[in-house]
Amino acid sequence: MSSVFDLIKPRLWPVVHRRPNTAARSYVRLAVMTAVAGALWIGIFLVSLRVLTHFSTIEEIGTLLNYKLLNMLMVTSLALLVFSDILTALSKLYLARDLPLVHALPVPAHRIFLARWMEISFDGSWMVLAFTLPVFLAYGMVFEQGLIFGLVLVAVLVPFALLAATVSSLLVLVVVIIIPANRMKNIFVLLGLLAFVAVYLAIRMARPEQLVDPEVFDSVLTYVASLQTPSPPWLPSTWAYAALQAALAPEPHRGLLDIALLWSGTGFFLFLAVGLADRLYFRGYSRTQAAGRKFRRRPAGTTRRHSRFTGPLRALLDKELKTFWRDQTQWSQIFLIMALVVIYVYNFKVLPLEKSPLPTVYLQNLLAFLNMGLALFVLTAVTARFAFPAVCSEREAFWVIKTAPISIRSFLWIKFGIYFLPLLILTEGLIVITNLLLNVTPVMMGLSVLTVFGMVPGIVALGIGMGALNPNFRTENPAQAVTGFDGLLFMVLSTAFIGAVLALEAGPVYHYFLSELRGRPLPPHWFLRTWTSGLLAVLLCLAAAVVPMAIGQRRLERRGI
Amino acid sequence: MIELHDIVKTYGSHKALHGLNLSVPSGEIFGFIGPNGAGKTTTIKIIGGIMAPTAGTVQVAGIDMARDPVTAKQRIGFIPDRPYLYEKLTGMEFLQFTADVYGVPAADFRTQAVSLLKMFALADWGEELIESYSHGMKQRLIMCAALLHDPEVLVVDEPMVGLDPVAIRMVKNLFRDLAARGVTVFMSTHTLAVAEDICDRIGIIHRGRLIAEGTLDDLRRDIAGGAPDLEAVFINLTQSPADNPGQGAAA
Repeated sequence: MSSVFDLIKPRLWPVVHRRPNTAARSYVRLAVMTAVAGALWIGIFLVSLRVLTHFSTIEEIGTLLNYKLLNMLMVTSLALLVFSDILTALSKLYLARDLPLVHALPVPAHRIFLARWMEISFDGSWMVLAFTLPVFLAYGMVFEQGLIFGLVLVAVLVPFALLAATVSSLLVLVVVIIIPANRMKNIFVLLGLLAFVAVYLAIRMARPEQLVDPEVFDSVLTYVASLQTPSPPWLPSTWAYAALQAALAPEPHRGLLDIALLWSGTGFFLFLAVGLADRLYFRGYSRTQAAGRKFRRRPAGTTRRHSRFTGPLRALLDKELKTFWRDQTQWSQIFLIMALVVIYVYNFKVLPLEKSPLPTVYLQNLLAFLNMGLALFVLTAVTARFAFPAVCSEREAFWVIKTAPISIRSFLWIKFGIYFLPLLILTEGLIVITNLLLNVTPVMMGLSVLTVFGMVPGIVALGIGMGALNPNFRTENPAQAVTGFDGLLFMVLSTAFIGAVLALEAGPVYHYFLSELRGRPLPPHWFLRTWTSGLLAVLLCLAAAVVPMAIGQRRLERRGI
Repeated sequence: MIELHDIVKTYGSHKALHGLNLSVPSGEIFGFIGPNGAGKTTTIKIIGGIMAPTAGTVQVAGIDMARDPVTAKQRIGFIPDRPYLYEKLTGMEFLQFTADVYGVPAADFRTQAVSLLKMFALADWGEELIESYSHGMKQRLIMCAALLHDPEVLVVDEPMVGLDPVAIRMVKNLFRDLAARGVTVFMSTHTLAVAEDICDRIGIIHRGRLIAEGTLDDLRRDIAGGAPDLEAVFINLTQSPADNPGQGAAA
């Protein structure tokens, strides 16, 4: 066993031997990240507590509903764990950069597998467990259970996560013999994405907002409670649910067999996987290294291309587009955006405006005004995914740009140009279509289109500029750049920017529509106030488009590679 | 052609270069050797415009790198030690990218690119994605790209790493031809035999200081007291207890 722990030491040492970073920036970073994670955790806890408390007050079916919810939670957690573990296993076992070194060591394959399994179990599970924990905490409070429930929770969740990691690793170990890991990862990510999009669209199209209607709500609840379909007895989520439900009952002894099943299942599959590792692991790893080479063998210079651009613009545009379309992990995310757009537009299509007590014209224009904020927030999310990692996506080939006769300023502005046009079309498209569905006045339509036109450059520039502050060129997945501190800061600043511009516009727009609605003249100083607000909004948009790019440029110029 | 004046580079509290002065004239092949961590790659990065020095100035073809980096870089062909490239482009697409960035006329590009690919034995691989290339092939593709715009200065970090013997011989001949045509070649290397073979002058850097500089004969005779070859000179200069910190240039 000693060599298994030797193999995971390189992973542990940087954590154990880390020198405390005393820079003020690192404390701020840590504080902000902790605050955001803490807020999310507390939010999940409070929402869970509220829902579970509410359900528990419903006579006859309340407890049953809470159990149903627990069962659903366990099934969903299992699905998430398996999905996450399979992706982690593919990376850790077959695609990680340190594998050539590890496989050159005089260590049997099953020990390498075992060391990697430990990493897979931790990396693939911690987030799912961390963010389901507040829900379990809420269950404990609603069912008024204490220490015993806590102990059962640990006895259940640990093998639950380990079992998911073990079965996923075993699955990957076997399947990679048939499908090489890099191809399998692409297929799996695409299938996962499509499944998510399908579920997302299906849930929205089912119009869950109708549950707010008391009559529909009651009948749905009764229906859900009456569902007596037993959970599949071979699923680990069923065992975990049964053990937790027994602890909440509180009859914890009823769950002992299920806990034993979780632990023994983990042991059995781990034994099987380790036994197979010596036969399969190296074969799969070797196969993965030889895969992914599709040779076309055409003589150089036979492919011609035409472009209306020239110079560095053509160079970077061509490179960006080709890299995007040839990387399936990049283009497949277009499906997500399409689903987002469909749902967005659908939400406006099914708005029950006629049921509102407010005048329809007033409501239509109020919604159109709020719609600007929503559409710009969608733009922020899409920018975070695509434009923010634009600099980081150069990866270690950034030396090519640094040594080329092109200024960093030009490089950043060309990047800006590449993302600006599609994002402008996306946002203007959203605004125009939803405003048409809302049947807004021409004034509101004009204001929306103009506001979006003025703000898109600012948001895209904020994304590109902030993405240039601290790009990690060694990352294996540039898209993850946005999950760091700078990504979070970008989201916060972009939201603040949207809020500030809309706040400046709100007053004049409000008075305009009020006077239109009541047939009264505009208040005195309206024009002065409108011009001042407009001027300030334009200045803010200009600053958002210029300042982050200048800061990003300065940082990138100073930075080596 | 390359002028370094009092170049200082610090990383936090660590001083990597201590006032480096160096001048490499047009048409010369200058070999830059030194132990690991001596400051070779830092110097190369500063000449290539990848990294700014903490103090001092760099001039390439008479152009100040800090004042006009774009024009200075236009004159340079840069070849790094590790061949990181845009893996999702084909070899030919990468050359087209380079040609567009360096402003190579469209009329010349195709002929020039195909000829370079042939020279580096990559003609059959030009339409393959770079991700399918071996380390040596990537290195050769970078050399093609560095020569595409007819640079006046070639800056090379470890040129022979990953190359097979045939390619090494070809690259050595190529460097000699380029130098004969007036191109300045500045290369850092650990392969002392290569430095002995093709370099007109050699500089030895140790702990961020240029401790010796001159032709191979100069170094053997004046610096290392009649050492038989470059390896002996190198060991003599970099392994002595005091590491010759105060010794200046010899040439």
